[in-house]
Amino acid sequence: MTLRALWIISHEKGENAAVRFSRRFSTVEHRAKRLAGPCYLAVPEDNVILQHLLTELGLADSDKPYVALRDDCLYRPGAPAMELHVDGPEKGALWPVLAILHGPLVLACLPLADAPPEPRPPLVSLLSVSQGLTLLAGLQTFLLGSGSKPDGEGLASRLAMLPSVLLQICPLGTPLDVPPLGPPATPAGPAPGGTQKQPAWKTGVHRGRPVVNVALLETVRSMQYGNRSRQDLWDVYGTVTCKCEVEGVLPNVTVTLSLPPNGSPLQDLLIHPCVSSLDSSILTASSVDNCDSSAFSGPYKFPFSPPLEPFRLCSYTSQVPVPPILGSYQLKEEENQLRVTANLKLHESVKNNFEYCEAHLPFFNRDQMGVVEVKVSSGQLDVSKEKNLLVWALGQKFPKSREVTLEGKISFSGPAAGPADPLCTELTAYIKMYFKVPDTTLSGCSVDQHSVQVYSSAKPRIVTSRELQSNDYFIWNSTGSAPVSSGQMMV
Amino acid sequence: MEAVWADRLALFSRGPAAFLSGTTAEAFLAELLRELRDDRAGFSLKLLLLSPLCEHPALLCPSDWVGEETALDLMSVFSQCPSRCVQFRCQLLVALTSVLVCTSCAAASSRASQDFVDLLLQAAQDSQADGSQRPLQETACECLRELEACCPGLLSQRLELLGGLRQRETSRLHQALAGVQAAALRNAVYRLSRDGAAGAGHLKALLGAGAAAAWEADQDSGVTTDPAALRSLVRGPMGTVPTLHTGPDCKELRSAVSSLLEESYLLTPLCQAALLHRLTEVVAMAPGVPPGVFRAQLLRLLGTAEVSLLHATLLMKSAFTDSLFSAEDEAFLLRRLVVLAQHPLLPAPQKLFYTDCLLHFPENRPIGCGDGEESVPVLLTPRLAAVLAPTVFNDGAALLSRLNLLCLVCLEEDEQGGDGVGLPYLYEHLGSLLRIVESGGGGREVVVTFFRAAFLFLSYFHHVERFSSGLTERLCRLYVKHPRLAPHLINLADLTQERLPECRWASGLLEALQKVIVDAPLSQLTPQDLSRHLKTLARVAEEAGVPQRATLRFLSAVTSPSGGCPGVRGDWRLGNGVLAVCRRLLVHPGLDSLLLPLADVLQHVASRHGDTDVQDHARLYYTLLTTLSRDKLAGVLADGAGRQVKKQALSSLVAESEALTGSLTVLQTETPVFRLTEVRPEPGAPAGEGQADQHPGDAAAALEAYRAQFSDAGFASDITLRYELRHADTADAAFSRLFSLRLHFDRTDAHYEALPDASVPCLFGDRPPPALRLTVRPRRPRPTTLRASALFSTADGRTWHGPLPDVPVAFRQTFLPLPAPPSWSRGDRSRLFDGLWEEILAADDDDDSGGADSLFCCGLEEAALDALVERHFLSFLVTDPARGDPVKVLLFLPPASHVLMKIRSEEDAAHFHIATDDWQLLPHMNSFLLSITSCPASS
Repeated sequence: MTLRALWIISHEKGENAAVRFSRRFSTVEHRAKRLAGPCYLAVPEDNVILQHLLTELGLADSDKPYVALRDDCLYRPGAPAMELHVDGPEKGALWPVLAILHGPLVLACLPLADAPPEPRPPLVSLLSVSQGLTLLAGLQTFLLGSGSKPDGEGLASRLAMLPSVLLQICPLGTPLDVPPLGPPATPAGPAPGGTQKQPAWKTGVHRGRPVVNVALLETVRSMQYGNRSRQDLWDVYGTVTCKCEVEGVLPNVTVTLSLPPNGSPLQDLLIHPCVSSLDSSILTASSVDNCDSSAFSGPYKFPFSPPLEPFRLCSYTSQVPVPPILGSYQLKEEENQLRVTANLKLHESVKNNFEYCEAHLPFFNRDQMGVVEVKVSSGQLDVSKEKNLLVWALGQKFPKSREVTLEGKISFSGPAAGPADPLCTELTAYIKMYFKVPDTTLSGCSVDQHSVQVYSSAKPRIVTSRELQSNDYFIWNSTGSAPVSSGQMMV
Repeated sequence: MEAVWADRLALFSRGPAAFLSGTTAEAFLAELLRELRDDRAGFSLKLLLLSPLCEHPALLCPSDWVGEETALDLMSVFSQCPSRCVQFRCQLLVALTSVLVCTSCAAASSRASQDFVDLLLQAAQDSQADGSQRPLQETACECLRELEACCPGLLSQRLELLGGLRQRETSRLHQALAGVQAAALRNAVYRLSRDGAAGAGHLKALLGAGAAAAWEADQDSGVTTDPAALRSLVRGPMGTVPTLHTGPDCKELRSAVSSLLEESYLLTPLCQAALLHRLTEVVAMAPGVPPGVFRAQLLRLLGTAEVSLLHATLLMKSAFTDSLFSAEDEAFLLRRLVVLAQHPLLPAPQKLFYTDCLLHFPENRPIGCGDGEESVPVLLTPRLAAVLAPTVFNDGAALLSRLNLLCLVCLEEDEQGGDGVGLPYLYEHLGSLLRIVESGGGGREVVVTFFRAAFLFLSYFHHVERFSSGLTERLCRLYVKHPRLAPHLINLADLTQERLPECRWASGLLEALQKVIVDAPLSQLTPQDLSRHLKTLARVAEEAGVPQRATLRFLSAVTSPSGGCPGVRGDWRLGNGVLAVCRRLLVHPGLDSLLLPLADVLQHVASRHGDTDVQDHARLYYTLLTTLSRDKLAGVLADGAGRQVKKQALSSLVAESEALTGSLTVLQTETPVFRLTEVRPEPGAPAGEGQADQHPGDAAAALEAYRAQFSDAGFASDITLRYELRHADTADAAFSRLFSLRLHFDRTDAHYEALPDASVPCLFGDRPPPALRLTVRPRRPRPTTLRASALFSTADGRTWHGPLPDVPVAFRQTFLPLPAPPSWSRGDRSRLFDGLWEEILAADDDDDSGGADSLFCCGLEEAALDALVERHFLSFLVTDPARGDPVKVLLFLPPASHVLMKIRSEEDAAHFHIATDDWQLLPHMNSFLLSITSCPASS
């Protein structure tokens, strides 16, 4: 349940790699030594770890085409744990080293294996592995923010804060929490006459008017092939994010998700640990199982006591009968040019009111575009010749017919080669959709403002919202061979 | 000051060993402690200063004694530190824990560690503490938990106290207290379970049913030292867990467990998972507490989004199987893992972890033996697993782990006679990857992933002919298009041969590669591609089963003037490539049928190649081929490594014929053949009893005259060490007579200048040992170790190189008598002593880095003291004690340090007053005095 050491490494695509921060937990190391007995391998110095870690991650010696240690074809079982042969291949290995690669950073740690060293225990028997993964993910968010690109200065100042953060959350190698993201809240004094215990995940108490904000975001992914022999695929997953400013040490809030009368049940619910009790029926539906239409379909009640910061109350997946936008895409190679035809149809059940809707048509592994003669029935077309990209902006609404078309010819006669892609050779090409629809969900799932219950003396202000967005929404050219994207076809 | 320290500490943490070679652990520790005690230093600096003690306590405190002293020092710093410096005080507690645990003081329940535990307990239950002190209290609890984890049983007598504290606590501190309580409870129950005689009464007493004192009395107090106590008790189905023999009466334990569980919801997920794991262990050991105690938590845990909580649940399942988890629960958990292993919202490492969990799923009724091997759980049907089929959209690691899972599922399905649609899918998937590699996109990562996927596929399905031969064909096409992939293909062939010895696939692949290489039109070949082809052909030539005529045809075509490969004829690298193939052909079992064409190629290269080195090699091979019999040829060229023969130089080729080996190579000895032993100088006469006082009378003048000598660079800066060379006890008889010994010394730190090599004409076992004088020049007078090696010849004319035992240079070996002018009398020396003494004491007041004086006492009687002075300090005396003078000793340590001592006997104790102009020498001086006074006769 403990870590022996922690490293934070920065690099630029494998170059200029440096250990920016490292921490060894000596008492845990002392335990590791006693646990492993003669198989014990000490944690080596930072530069040794750096070299081996980069090699194992395939980042070392980026100027050399083939390095035996880095590129051999031996399969390494037990990912995400790696073994580092820091004392040469014959001696034992440091194991299980966990690492997260994110942009210019590698975050790595070595959890303690509190099991007999031989035979090597499976990862699932070491609780320290999931603890290490959680801490690394928390550090990643702390150092880089969620998603956004890190800036050098921000990173440096965050790194400088690490010693005091670790003193708080992992002073002796046992991670107690993930790094706090906001500024430290003022510690709560003892609740007046209260016997309620303060949750350890709550850094203080809110004072002021209660506000509860519940945001539902659904994401739809799709792979459309326009091909009889191949089934189109799409799926929907949703997240419910809450921000609750409610007084009290352990206030009670209940959020209820509801589905329309014949909506298909929410599946694969993953629930935040602050939810205090659950009805077993809401967990039963699963996306990998035969879907039983008689299954429980709501309402989904989540009683919880909120932390101070925004959190993801739950996430779910849903099976919807049709994709929101059905597309077809055909390319035809003609003399020195490519004939392009595309058609997009918005399903009638989806609200025709977008925040934005764009179709991107990239062309890879060809020369740069020369003459582009393409017409669209609706919306605007932007041509980016350097990127070999057509951007078809459909604006806020589809026309009344809910159907739009694009047609035309492109010649690739530019002076230089356009962008390359390993997948999209010859007629393997796609349209990628980017859209966002406010105040709608595909599953029909919603949070009624009146269903949010807050047990509080003051009347709370309750804000709810929902939104649908696309992610990895591909429409493949039906005249080319599209890559297989899911094994579900094999059964 | 702070910046200097920050740099030094960064240097230390980057390479502690290298850093300490520039100083000593003792001196560095002393510096750290001094700075920590210094009121002038700021707390941000002091916080930094603790990091070496936290991260490398064992390096800085090499013995328990030093650890104990350091801990006492740190505790006094703690008590003197104002309570507002919360962060520093927290870090101090962490440093103390590190020092006490890593030096085994905690395990031995030393005085300091007992005090420290009391201090921590006090801090944890400080009812006066306000919110600002909470971090300190939390850290104190965390230190207690770590101490208990490292020394199981340390807090078993405090369980009642800890439980009470936790229940009363309403602030966030209850989490830290729960952590300590759970750890102590687990260890206490473990200890009772191991102790067969322990019964219900002991358990009751332990948990505080009023009989604690009684139980305490019959316990050998102390901590468990068995490392097994540190291991997790949740193991696979075959793991055994010690059992508590208390019968059904476990009310107290049960209520302790439930009370912890009830509040588990209030802990952070990480602490919750750890608590659940500890309690799982406790319940697994106690048959009196049913696993059902966890049931109320189960639903919450099964639905969790937190990886650590789900992991703790899996461990619970592993421990309790169907006594807690129904068949439906099991099916649910498995489906859950499948969902999580590909969930779009989870980070990649978590998905990999869940995929791995599927292959080590703790089943209620496992069929396998659960020995840690990967296996597909019964409930993971091909239909369910299909969700995890690899696709080209996966990143490398996910793709491989999914492919591995699916291969295992297909293998299982195959054994059970399934319809097997999965396998063609996997093969097709491999094909998609290959197409991406073939298209040249995707970069190195895709290439590596593809070859790993290919190896993985083969390792499960090499026996399925249609797929393995299909793969061979596709790989050959890929190679023709991208000869740069040669090293990957060779590696694939090597590994399949090594890991799948029963599989003949690699040989087939190599033969097919040979065919595509020799069939390709030569005219389009670039020099780079030719070089890659030659590498591949060299590997093909190692296959005994592959006919090599085609290879030779290719070689003869590329080397012939009409072959259309002009590059080969002058290029050293390509020439060597050709020779590397030839060399392997020379030992090929089919050599008989290759004789003529091979000789032709070699002769051609020998006469026509543009590079002399290549010509020479070719000539040598030609000669070997045409003059040696098959067996001899194999003997000459054989090498132990089999494959992976590196390009051989002429000398090493010849060297492999046994007779010439000795004269050409330097042989290596594994163990030292001889060693250096120190020759102690006889205690010399006190110096300078020459002429009468004829020199300037006062101390200042003496000092000036003395110092003037140092203007001459190199004055008195060398130390001569005397050694003898003696054979090592284990030395072989072959080494009894050694000649022309040349000794080489390497420094292990930066305290000394580099040493020149030393020569000794001979070393015979039956003659007196030869003497060796080593002259070393210190930069700083410190003890050191010299790493030594030697080159020498034996009577049979062979030359050997080997290590010698390390040569320690003790602190006392750096002492020299005062380098005063030879004409000086004892009086002059004594005056100089006084002058130096005064100066050092004066400097001490105002200069921080300068001299120091110190007192060393020991219980020696007068006679013993006299003998000691006689024995160790005679040549350093500047007074004559026989005439009743006070004993003054002046040690000179090159290049410019002095240690002055006034030695007095007072009552039963001997007092050594020490003054030095280099205070860093004090620790060394102290240990030296300690060693000579503790056993005066032997040293």
